[in-house]
Amino acid sequence: MVRKKVVVKNESGLHARPASVLVKVASGFESEFTIKMYGYHVNGKSILGVMTLAAEFGSEMELILEGSDEKKALETIVDLFETKFKEEN
Amino acid sequence: MNPGSNSIDLTGKAVSNGIGIGSATILSTKSTTVRPDKIDQEEIKSHLQKLKDSRNLLLSEYEQLRDESHLQSAKDILEAQIQTLKDPEVKKRVQHKIESDRLSVGYAIFSTLNEYIQLLETSGVKWASDRAVDIVAIRDEWIDVVSENRREITMSKGDVIFAEDIPPALMVKISRIKVAAIVMEKGGDTSHAVILSQSLGIPCVINTHWNRYQVKKGMLVIVDGLDGHVIINPDDQQLAQYEERRERDLSRVKESLKWAKKENLTKCGKSFFLRANVEFLEELPKLTTHGAKGIGLLRTETVLFETTEFDVKEQVEFYSNVLKETKNESVTIRLFDAGGDKLINDKSSEANPFLGWRGVRMLLDEPQLLKKQLEALYRVSGDFTGRLKILVPMVSRLEEIRALKLVAEEVRDELKRQKIKFDPSIPIGIMVEVPSVVMMANKIASQVDFFSIGTNDLTQYTLAVDRGNEKISALFDSYHPAIWRMIKMTKDAADEHNIPISVCGEMASKPEAAACLMGMGINDLSMNTSAIPNVKAVLCSHTLKELNELSDRVLEEDELEGIHKLFSKWKFKE
Repeated sequence: MVRKKVVVKNESGLHARPASVLVKVASGFESEFTIKMYGYHVNGKSILGVMTLAAEFGSEMELILEGSDEKKALETIVDLFETKFKEEN
Repeated sequence: MNPGSNSIDLTGKAVSNGIGIGSATILSTKSTTVRPDKIDQEEIKSHLQKLKDSRNLLLSEYEQLRDESHLQSAKDILEAQIQTLKDPEVKKRVQHKIESDRLSVGYAIFSTLNEYIQLLETSGVKWASDRAVDIVAIRDEWIDVVSENRREITMSKGDVIFAEDIPPALMVKISRIKVAAIVMEKGGDTSHAVILSQSLGIPCVINTHWNRYQVKKGMLVIVDGLDGHVIINPDDQQLAQYEERRERDLSRVKESLKWAKKENLTKCGKSFFLRANVEFLEELPKLTTHGAKGIGLLRTETVLFETTEFDVKEQVEFYSNVLKETKNESVTIRLFDAGGDKLINDKSSEANPFLGWRGVRMLLDEPQLLKKQLEALYRVSGDFTGRLKILVPMVSRLEEIRALKLVAEEVRDELKRQKIKFDPSIPIGIMVEVPSVVMMANKIASQVDFFSIGTNDLTQYTLAVDRGNEKISALFDSYHPAIWRMIKMTKDAADEHNIPISVCGEMASKPEAAACLMGMGINDLSMNTSAIPNVKAVLCSHTLKELNELSDRVLEEDELEGIHKLFSKWKFKE
């Protein structure tokens, strides 16, 4: 199992579009993906789960991955957070 | 075929001309209700199967729709719906409710999605609560599928669509199918469904209480978009009569389309510009065939409704598609004009929405929206220098123009800092649709780059007639002498300050009114694309002198009746 804390850098938060990108990318990996935020745990491959976090700019969350491709998955997902889900100019 | 006594003749308000004959398809907007019914042990299996089948059916439909869509924004909306259907947690929870709680599949879906809807609605984060409606939409559609009570959204070419009202996204879908006609119970002159049916030339009748008369799928229907008649189960004689009229209409349209190719000159050689009012990309191919010179009014409400948080990139894509498809012509883009029936995610209702928080008033209160739209427009302008114009809606005082210009300057400064190429001199003009602006036209003309008169709202605000109110709809008449005088005042003010003036209201689409406007010296008119050939025919076949005489006499009239009399000879005849 690998885990890492990340911060939402998108100014308008982890809204529908980045949430959709996150779920899409995460679903491409075999590993189980859990997001922990304020004591909540959601399935990171669940669009509704991710959206109901309603994570705003600056929110901190922990990404937890477990499975055969966990390292690669974590790296890829952390990169999405770093690059603001490639949505801003 | 059918005896005459079986036919039902309904009347409504004709809003889009033409004769449509086809078989009825009913678009129901009432959703299925589900109850927390318990199921037996042996039913579990079939309910799980139903869950799987319904999910697969919706997935394949949405995926097809997504792949066929031209708009990135529409694709994104569908993609989000697809992800919801594929959501592993949703699947797990629904299955659990069926297997362990022994709930019916319909109720299991209902209660599972409601949990998420409630979380989103109470999240306190605007974008999250805004998305709740999408989950509601998918919940209802999914339940309809499992209860085998699907709201009709399958329709074929040549059908007559009956609906209570048609939401914009569905209207886009309908626009891709060549339907014969549309009959709506609700709707207003300016609803999206009406605007789109006009520009696509689909006959449309609204305010028709068809529900009361058991219209059934497959019944033969005639829709007369000129007189507002809807005939269900017509007899042979009626059918023959309308078929003949339809043929005549078609050949007339063909005839008038010949004018589309002519040069935009009056009989005496004076030039004019007829442009199109446009809202959807789907309308653009028609501009060439109908002889439109660019776009005089690009509405941006639907595109902004469809974006996520008014995303700049999505807007840029839409605007640049429009600009690419209109070659070298100018495109006047009206800033987001929410109001009245187009209100944006505002649940508090206003007593008088048309006198309320809309147009520039709302934009100045919502700088995020305004800045994003201006940013998108300036970004696009870099590749299309000199072709864009920005039109500000619902201005009622000078201060609003100053405030808006300051925001535009901020946006430009920011783009400059980011070294982004843009057109620094996009003209910024205003809609003249509030009487206070007409009274101040002389002052305001020195502060703006152009005027565009919106005759529908100007009429409503000047005559104090709510155009949606059926009781007084007869009082709503844009030919009122006061309106002509206001147009004249506005034109004089524009001339004095040497700024261009155009008319983009419904008035411009009527040949007789267009002739009068041209006579008054307003030679830039924007209208529904379908109306262009007939307007062009009238302007091309008269001299400016004749048009001047008409407008002079109209401006002398004190009563509506006199004006209608003057116009009677000018109206388009068969």
